[in-house]
Amino acid sequence: MDPRQFEHTVVDDNDIHSIVMSYLLHNCFNETADSLASCTGVKQPAIDRDNLERRKQIIHFILERKALKAVELTEQLAQDLLEKNKDLHFDLLCLHFVDRVCAGNCTEALEFAQTRLAPFGKVPKYVEKLEDVMALLAYEDPEKSPMFHLLSSEYRQQVADNLNRTILEHTNHPSYTPMERIIQQVTVVRQYLTEENGKDAFPPFSLKDSLKG
Amino acid sequence: MENGLWEVLGSKGLLKKHEFIRILVQCLYSLGFKNSASCLEIESNISYKSADYEFLEKQVLSGDWDSCVAVLDRIFDNSKDDTRNTALYLVFKQCLLEYLKRGDVSLALNVLRKQAPMLRMGKEKIHRLACDIVYSKEMESGEVDSCLVQGLRKKLLVELEKLIPLPIVIPERRLEHLVETAVMDQIDTCLYHNSWGAVSLYKDHCCGRDQIPSETVQILMAHKNEVWFVQFSNSGKYLATASSDCTAIIWKVLDDNKVELKHTLESHQNPVSFVSWSPDDTKLLTCGNAEVLKLWDVDTGVLRHTFGNNNTGFTVSSCAWFPDSTRLVCGSSDPERGIVMWDTDGNEIKAWRGTRIPKVVDLAVTPDGESMITVFSDKEIRILNLETKVERVISEEQPITSLSISGDGKFFIVNLSCQEIHLWDLAGEWKQPLKFSGHRQSKYVIRSCFGGLDSSFIASGSEDSQVYIWNLKNAKPLEVLSGHSMTVNCVSWNPKNPRMLASASDDQTIRIWGPGKPNKPEN
Repeated sequence: MDPRQFEHTVVDDNDIHSIVMSYLLHNCFNETADSLASCTGVKQPAIDRDNLERRKQIIHFILERKALKAVELTEQLAQDLLEKNKDLHFDLLCLHFVDRVCAGNCTEALEFAQTRLAPFGKVPKYVEKLEDVMALLAYEDPEKSPMFHLLSSEYRQQVADNLNRTILEHTNHPSYTPMERIIQQVTVVRQYLTEENGKDAFPPFSLKDSLKG
Repeated sequence: MENGLWEVLGSKGLLKKHEFIRILVQCLYSLGFKNSASCLEIESNISYKSADYEFLEKQVLSGDWDSCVAVLDRIFDNSKDDTRNTALYLVFKQCLLEYLKRGDVSLALNVLRKQAPMLRMGKEKIHRLACDIVYSKEMESGEVDSCLVQGLRKKLLVELEKLIPLPIVIPERRLEHLVETAVMDQIDTCLYHNSWGAVSLYKDHCCGRDQIPSETVQILMAHKNEVWFVQFSNSGKYLATASSDCTAIIWKVLDDNKVELKHTLESHQNPVSFVSWSPDDTKLLTCGNAEVLKLWDVDTGVLRHTFGNNNTGFTVSSCAWFPDSTRLVCGSSDPERGIVMWDTDGNEIKAWRGTRIPKVVDLAVTPDGESMITVFSDKEIRILNLETKVERVISEEQPITSLSISGDGKFFIVNLSCQEIHLWDLAGEWKQPLKFSGHRQSKYVIRSCFGGLDSSFIASGSEDSQVYIWNLKNAKPLEVLSGHSMTVNCVSWNPKNPRMLASASDDQTIRIWGPGKPNKPEN
């Protein structure tokens, strides 16, 4: 794609600011959002501040290995959310189990598993994940087990993102940011063009490569 | 071991004496003769339980898991053996369960993390143990008392017994199994075997002629011309015969197996060559090569219906019933008529006509009503699955004259005019049929049937006026029954009495055959 072709397209600065702002607010970076607003003079959209504050707290609890607190807050925010999203509920409870095991508190972890996680063992689709999580008990050093990815911060972030989106959806907010949508759009359009015109005409969209300029 | 226990037994020296005694002891225990069993153990100095097993048993029942695991590790020397790993897994599972129920979580976790991995059972088993302590069935039950624990330990022993290799543990009921195997082999080679039930162990099993019908017990004379067809009803309580004297006769089989005439069915204008009993035995169909199909009521002998709207051109060579006793199918000897399915009121339900349907020689429906087998003029057999409409074709090399299905619907036989009877499987797995010969057939339609216990015999008529009987295991006849003076056209084996056979002959009689005298069978 010849970059000179882009010269003909005009992009409004305000649009860009909106996109960035919505991304910041989606991920609860409210201080950064305030900063951006004061620097650029762009007004923040009228959003549900309370909703944002809660989501921020919930996400932090997850990242700080306090999954059960995150669950508590979520239930306060929206009573039936976890009931309607059993998969997510399961992931959060597993995360609490992992937190306890990492903290070295295996007795508590075991008791928790027997009461809160065991019931999921009756549902076939959770069994495999449950087995992986429970197996952590068999290792003195869970980091050395084959399931070490469950202890990683990437995994934690993934669960947090998932919960964030679910809360937004549940409270009638868009669950995907415009930024993500735009990138998804470009990728899909590129795929269609490739299918129409052959592999070499349009390479698949790569954000990394685009950022290199 | 004591002197003498390395000895061998048996005329060929194939049996080890100490093993023989050990399975004798096991047998006494399993029959409940504890005193005799332990007496024998003392007298022979051979104990049923091996030393290793006794030790393991003690450790399991007293909950000494370390020793338990050590014994198993020693018994199984290959750590890749899944049986070994399963046995160890079961022991650890019980151990963990007991520790946790006592509230000893840290001890349990120690076993899981440090001791269990040392046995190299494999990651999967370790992970399984971790899951078990969270949500196995045994963990769910609340408090456990010592009684329950003992019960679980005994169960563990039973499971371990299934996994431990020979000769530490021997399979249960070993002597019984060996004797039964020998008896089954004898029954397998017993060509006259024709009854259920236990056989005597006092001599090698071998049945004689008295087990199958081989002597004439009654001669039925009522037809005024050649008798072409005979068939017992499904209940075995009636007999139907058809003759070139244009009649069919229904006979009753009495309790003492004597046969007496019940009804003579007169209405046909031409020779009757085929009859068929409805599955519930309340109705009878009669037809002939140049004759129409008629339906009769068995109880009263009254004619219910003539098929084809009294169209005397609609000749039917053979017919068959569906399991519901209300639908029937018939095949015509006239290639233009094809095959027609009717209900007992005379309504046509379905028909197969056209160029693909040549003259029908014989047809039958399997007892479950799923398949229809048709013999087309004159070398083709077509098996049609009525549900799936899938058709299988078998092409014989010689003309076929008749068809018969076994009682269980899994096999069928056809008589060929080259003096062979071919046995095929309905499922279509056989590439070649089983072949039986010895009888005479070249000019006429000769019919055969399955019979005896589990349809293990075939009987057939023959042009040399004799009845031939084969055991399915042997291509040559087992028995040849003389008595008729002319060609035997058809035979029928009583489906409920494996020792009763009927034969129909050109000599105008029907013979009933019963158990022979118990002579030595010819080899």
